[in-house]
Amino acid sequence: MNMAFKQETFRDDYTYHNSAEAIRRFPFPFAEDEYMYSVNIEQHNGGEPGSVFEHAIDVDEHYVAECEDRRIVLEDDPNRYIALPHMMDAQWDMVELVMESLSRDYPDLFQLTRDGDNWHWINQPLGIDQKFVFGDEATLPMQPCEYITRQVQGDWIILDQRDDDLFADLGMVTSQADWSMAFDAGMSFKEWHGPVPQANELGIFDRALKYLLHLQYGSPVRRLNWTMTINPRLDTSPENYPFWGPDNVSVTPDNVGDKVHLRVELQALFRLPRSNAIAFSVRGYLASINDLTTYPRWAKRLHRVLTNLHPDLSEYKGLDNYRQMVIDHLAPMDDGEELALGTQPE
Amino acid sequence: MERGYWIRSKPLYDSLVWKQKATGHVVIAQGEGGIAVLKLFQQMCPREPITLLFADDASTSKNYADIIHTLVPEGVQICDSEQAVLDKLQAQLPNYLMGTQFYVAGSEAFIWDVLAELKVYGVQDINVEKELSGTLARSVYCVHCKTTDRDVHHSIHQCSGCGRHLFVRDHFSRRLGAYMGVMVDAEEPGNIPAKEEIYP
Repeated sequence: MNMAFKQETFRDDYTYHNSAEAIRRFPFPFAEDEYMYSVNIEQHNGGEPGSVFEHAIDVDEHYVAECEDRRIVLEDDPNRYIALPHMMDAQWDMVELVMESLSRDYPDLFQLTRDGDNWHWINQPLGIDQKFVFGDEATLPMQPCEYITRQVQGDWIILDQRDDDLFADLGMVTSQADWSMAFDAGMSFKEWHGPVPQANELGIFDRALKYLLHLQYGSPVRRLNWTMTINPRLDTSPENYPFWGPDNVSVTPDNVGDKVHLRVELQALFRLPRSNAIAFSVRGYLASINDLTTYPRWAKRLHRVLTNLHPDLSEYKGLDNYRQMVIDHLAPMDDGEELALGTQPE
Repeated sequence: MERGYWIRSKPLYDSLVWKQKATGHVVIAQGEGGIAVLKLFQQMCPREPITLLFADDASTSKNYADIIHTLVPEGVQICDSEQAVLDKLQAQLPNYLMGTQFYVAGSEAFIWDVLAELKVYGVQDINVEKELSGTLARSVYCVHCKTTDRDVHHSIHQCSGCGRHLFVRDHFSRRLGAYMGVMVDAEEPGNIPAKEEIYP
């Protein structure tokens, strides 16, 4: 893994870019030529060395820049972090989950020393050295979940479990694909998935909810989801739609390879031990069409998936303005060769 | 979007029906919700203690307050505003027993104002009987500036907070008691569809 952290932006001049290594480990989500929603949940207990699945929480070359982008979003709109009052146990669970995972998996970058409830946390990439008392809010500069989710990539939504349902009662959401934590806070599982087309008809939410209600501590799970984003923008929130909406109509046949990004979400779910809540992490990876087409296998696969995509999904994911341009751009790279099952680049 | 598609966060409202297992009944209504109250008491008058909080509204098609007075034997409290009903409810909630059942009728904004009061005491909205009466007006939350406008009859709606023209989605937040409004011309500024009265 390339641990030289990039100085880059996800807004304005968009200096974000992937190293060759980052492209190679990109979690390309399409194992087949057609895509439809499925529950597609698998165990999240480690993956191939170097892959984004290797560790519970992946830290990559974009870590420092993504934390900075989160800071900018929160400065402008503090409500991207929402905590309902009954979630304090879950907040401390989050502190433990993130600090233990990062210090275990990246000991050169993060160190945690525990002496009873006296904890000492060192985050070298962000220059943080914090002693605090676990369980005592007053010993941290802000609420525990806000404190720790400012130091990790991806959005985090903490789901309270009661009445055989899951409620989005705590969350840090600054890099979302067009949904609002401030609006969805307190919603049940089916309510916050309300707008998703087709999936209800397939019974996906019923099955996924039933599965998640039985998620065990120590046995996290994951799935991939995807959409497309114009420019490498993390904050494609409904709140800021007035600012990124115009980008959706800025794609031309000349800039399509640079501008259009595949945005893949690695969604992982962890049962939390004190609160019995579930931490739901949504970690976005961005790769431009040009990044992806460095691998001919991915170019062919993506061409077919986009061509075959159900029109409702295309509309819901907001691809209608530019999907055909991407297909036309990829068409010359697709010789029709039969591709075996699998997401691998080569 | 194809036919058959609906957003699951959109609340569905039913007719008020008495719940048989109850230590008491609290009926809370506003304006044209009066007709729902009358329908309820025409089903029967329950044995358990009754409280009825009604916000009278001079503009309703009938004088529900008078009819309610003749039909409901006890616990009737007529107020002259929604806020007065909410204040009374808030003051009286600590007195109600475990097992009290709640019934709410009126505009959607009123229903969710009441549910917000009940929620403080742990009453979940799925356990409350709700009937939408008199109007389909919506409360709309501007996702951009976080202003909530009540009594919205049109989509497209111009936000009173930021002036943006909002498309009103069917996506509903029970916590905010409002539908999501999203800027309609973000991609092509100035391209604003005509507004239509679809929530009369």
